[in-house]
Amino acid sequence: MSLDGVVRRAFETALSPEDVISDPVRCRSYECDGLTGYRVIPQLVLLPRDAAQVAAAVRVCHEHGVPFVARGAGTGLSGGALPVADGVVISLARLKRVLEVDPVDRRAVVEPGVTNLEITAAAAPHGLYYAPDPSSQQVCTIGGNVAENSGGAHCLKYGFTTNHVLSCEVVLPDGDRVTLGSDTGEQAGPDLRGVFVGSEGTLGITTKITVRLLRTPETVRTLLADFPSIAAAGEVVSDIVAAGIVPAAVEMMDTLAIEAAEEAVHAGYTVGVPAALVVELDGPTEECDVQFEQVKQICDRHGCTRLHIAGSPEERAKIWKGRKAAFAAVGRISPDYFVQDGVVPRTRLAEVLDRIAGMGTDAGLRVANVFHAGDGNLHPLVLYSAAAGETERAEKLSGEIAELCVELGGSLSGEHGIGTDKACSMPKMFGADDLAVMARVRTAFDPRGLCNPGKVLPTPRLCGERPGKYRPHPLEEAGVIERL
Amino acid sequence: MSTRTTLRPTDLRSLRDAVLDTAGTIGIAGAGTAAGWAGTLAQVDAVLDTTGLTGVITHNPGDMTVSLRAGTPLRQLQEELAPHGQHLSFDAARVADGATVGGLIATADAGPAALVFGSMRDLVIGVTIVLADGTVARSGGHVIKNVAGYDLAKLLHGSYGTLGVLAEVVLRLHPMPKRTATLAIHCSLGEAAEHAATVLGGPYEPAAMEWISDGTLLIRIEGTEEALDARLQRLRTALGTGELLDPEPPSDERRVRRIGTDESAARRNEAWGRHASLVRGAPGLATMRIGVRPSRLPDVLADLPTETVTAGLGTGVATVSLPPDAVEATHARVHAAGGTSVLRSRPPQVDVPAWGPPPSAIAVLRAVKAELDPQGRFGPGRFDDWM
Repeated sequence: MSLDGVVRRAFETALSPEDVISDPVRCRSYECDGLTGYRVIPQLVLLPRDAAQVAAAVRVCHEHGVPFVARGAGTGLSGGALPVADGVVISLARLKRVLEVDPVDRRAVVEPGVTNLEITAAAAPHGLYYAPDPSSQQVCTIGGNVAENSGGAHCLKYGFTTNHVLSCEVVLPDGDRVTLGSDTGEQAGPDLRGVFVGSEGTLGITTKITVRLLRTPETVRTLLADFPSIAAAGEVVSDIVAAGIVPAAVEMMDTLAIEAAEEAVHAGYTVGVPAALVVELDGPTEECDVQFEQVKQICDRHGCTRLHIAGSPEERAKIWKGRKAAFAAVGRISPDYFVQDGVVPRTRLAEVLDRIAGMGTDAGLRVANVFHAGDGNLHPLVLYSAAAGETERAEKLSGEIAELCVELGGSLSGEHGIGTDKACSMPKMFGADDLAVMARVRTAFDPRGLCNPGKVLPTPRLCGERPGKYRPHPLEEAGVIERL
Repeated sequence: MSTRTTLRPTDLRSLRDAVLDTAGTIGIAGAGTAAGWAGTLAQVDAVLDTTGLTGVITHNPGDMTVSLRAGTPLRQLQEELAPHGQHLSFDAARVADGATVGGLIATADAGPAALVFGSMRDLVIGVTIVLADGTVARSGGHVIKNVAGYDLAKLLHGSYGTLGVLAEVVLRLHPMPKRTATLAIHCSLGEAAEHAATVLGGPYEPAAMEWISDGTLLIRIEGTEEALDARLQRLRTALGTGELLDPEPPSDERRVRRIGTDESAARRNEAWGRHASLVRGAPGLATMRIGVRPSRLPDVLADLPTETVTAGLGTGVATVSLPPDAVEATHARVHAAGGTSVLRSRPPQVDVPAWGPPPSAIAVLRAVKAELDPQGRFGPGRFDDWM
C-alpha cells in the first residue's frame, strides 16, 4: 500500500512540502535504527521543525489511520524506531533546542532531539550536570532516552531517566498536546509521566522535556583494577555493597572485552587478565577519601593483580573511553556481533557469566562481556561471522542469553528496551494477563493502535514473521496457513 | 442503601477472590492514615481492608531488594531491615503512624528524604496488582535496572485506590547511613531560602532540607563516621550560623537504638518530630500538599493564609495547614504558579475541593480509568471532579 495523494498533501500542508520525504532512496536512510538486522522502508519520512508541526503531523496520521514511528538519532539497539511499511517516520532531529537552563531550580527544558551530552554541556557552566549517561551519550538524544528509560554507568547511584524527568510535553496519538508530570517530583493523580518514560515511543511523541540537573560532584575518584577471575571481581562488588558504599559506577569487563577496548583506544587496560573493574566514587571530598581507601582494601583482599588509580581528569577520561568504546571496539576482534542487554540480580553475576560461557562453547561462538556490575545489567556481545554462516546461531544464542536472565530472576532488558527485537520474548518474563493489562494501558493512550505499532508487546505478526524481506511464516512452512 | 461489608484478604488469591466475589463499588483501605486525603470516598458496597496482606516475601540483602505484601506497615519493614544495615530511603511523617507500603504508594506520599531519593515511585521496582475484574497483573521485577514492559507501579502511584489494588511490591533499598546529623538555623522563610541556595549551590550534599514555620531551617547531613564532622564544620562555616542537633553516636550503638524505627527516631530528634507533626495537620484546619518550582515556593507560601508550613526548599514541596475556606483559592494560586496541589486532611463535614484544575492530560487519565476499571468500582469519589 502506498499513502495516496490526499494523505501526502495533508502532511505537506501540516509541514511544508520539502519537509516530507517520499523518495524511496532517501526514505531508505530511515529503514532501521542501531539494530540493523531489522529493516523496513517507510512510506514517508516527516521532518517537523517544532512541536506544533509534530502535533499537526500526528493529527493527520490520526485522521487517516496512518501508523507512525518517532525517531531521534536512531541509536536504539532494540529496533524501537523500526518503521512500519505502511506508515511514516516522524524524525525529531530538528527539535534540538535547549530551551532553558535554570541554575537556581536546577533543571533544564530541552527539545527531544538534544543529545544527552549536550544537556550536560549546557548545564556545566552552572556547575550542574544531567546524571543518566548512556554509553552512547554523545549521539543519543534525550527523546530516545525518555522513550527507553535509558540508563548508563552512573545509574546505580543516581537513578535512571525516569528519576530525572520532571515533566514531558507529549503529542498524544490523536494529535493533542498535553503535559505529563509537573514542575516538581510532586504529582496530582496517577503518574502518567512515569508510565510514558520507558514506553518506547508507543504512547505518544515527546516534544519537550524538563529534566532535573544535579550539582557536579566536588570530587570524583576512579580506579581500574585487574583480577584473576570473574568471580573475584564479583566478590569485590559484593563487598563494596556490603560495606554500605554506593559507588557512582562499577563496571566489569572480561578478557575479550578488555582486549577489544585496549586495541581500539589504548586506555591502559591489561590485555590477557580474566577480569577488570572500573570503580568510581563521587561526592564530598571527605566522604570520597574515606570510601576510596575502603574500596582499595577490598580490591587487595580479593587478589587484585594491578590497581591503577586515575591521577588526573585525563587519566580518568581515558579509563572511561576504554569502557565506553568497548562495544564498537569488538568490531576489531570479530567481523560481526550482537549486543545483548539483560539484567540479573547482582548476586547472580558469577553464575550467569559461567552459564553464558558454557552456552557460548556449546554454540561454538565467543561471547565478550562488558557490563554494569553494580546493578547487574549485562551486555554480552555475541561474536560471529555472517560470511561464515553463523548469523542464525548467534542470534539464537543472544536470545537465549536474554531469556536466561529472566530465568535467574532478572529482566529481558536493562536499558536498550524491548522494541522489535525482544517483543517475542516478553511472554518469558510476563504472563498473558500481565501483557493484556499493559495492552489496556496502551489502548488508553492509543485506541487506534497507530503509535509505533508492533513494539514492546508481542503480536502474532511480529512473533511469527520477521519484518523486512519476505520469509515464510512458520505456520506457512508447516502448511497451516497460506498467503494470498 | 446496601449493607457495607468489609473484606480482609490475607494473600494474593484471597484478595483476587474478594474482588471477584463482591459486586458493586469497593473502597480500598490500608492502615487508614490517609483515609481522609484527596476526594472523599463515596458510599461504597464493600471495603477492601489490606492490612491482612502483610509480611516480607523475599529480602535479598546482597541485591538490596525486598518484596513484600502491600499491606505491610513500612515501620515494620524498616525494623526488619535495620539489622542488615539497610533501609528504604523514605520518611513520610505518617510512616510512624503505621502507614502501609501500598498506601504510601497509592497516595504518592513522601518525606524530607525525597530531596535525594524521591518518592515511592522512585523506590518501587515491581508490583503485583489486582484489577476490578479480578485480573492479576505484574510489572517490573526484582532488579533495579529494568525497562521491560510498561511500569504499572508508576500508574498506581498517586491513584488513591481508583485503578487497582496493590497486592505485592518490590522495593529497592539503600544502605543506612553510618551517621546522621542535623544543622538547625533559626530564621524566616526568606532567610531560609537564601541559606538553601548556598547549601544547594555548594558541595554539601544535604540529605534533607526543610523549613518549618516555627522559624527553623533543618539541614540533614548523612555520611561516614570519619567524614561527617568535617562536612558539618564546612557547612556551618559557609552558612555562618547553625546549631548542631543530635549528632548521633557511633554506628553500632546507634544501629541498636535505631531498631526503634522512625517513630523513635522522630522522638529522639525533636526538631524533625515537630516537622512531622506539622505535616500531619491540625484540628479545625485543612491541610494541603503543594508543589511548585523551588524558587517560587516562598512567594506562593507568602500569598497563602497558612497557620503552619513545612517547606522543602530543595524539592519545592510544601505541606500547609490553613482555614478550610482558603482551599479553593490555594488550588488556584498554586496552579497559577505552574504547580500541583491536593487536599489532605480537612475538618469533618467540611466540603472543599480536593483537587485543583484538571491536568491537560485529563482525557488520558479518564481513558486509563475506563480501561482498567470500566465499571468504576474502585474508589468512587476520590477524584471528584476530575473523573
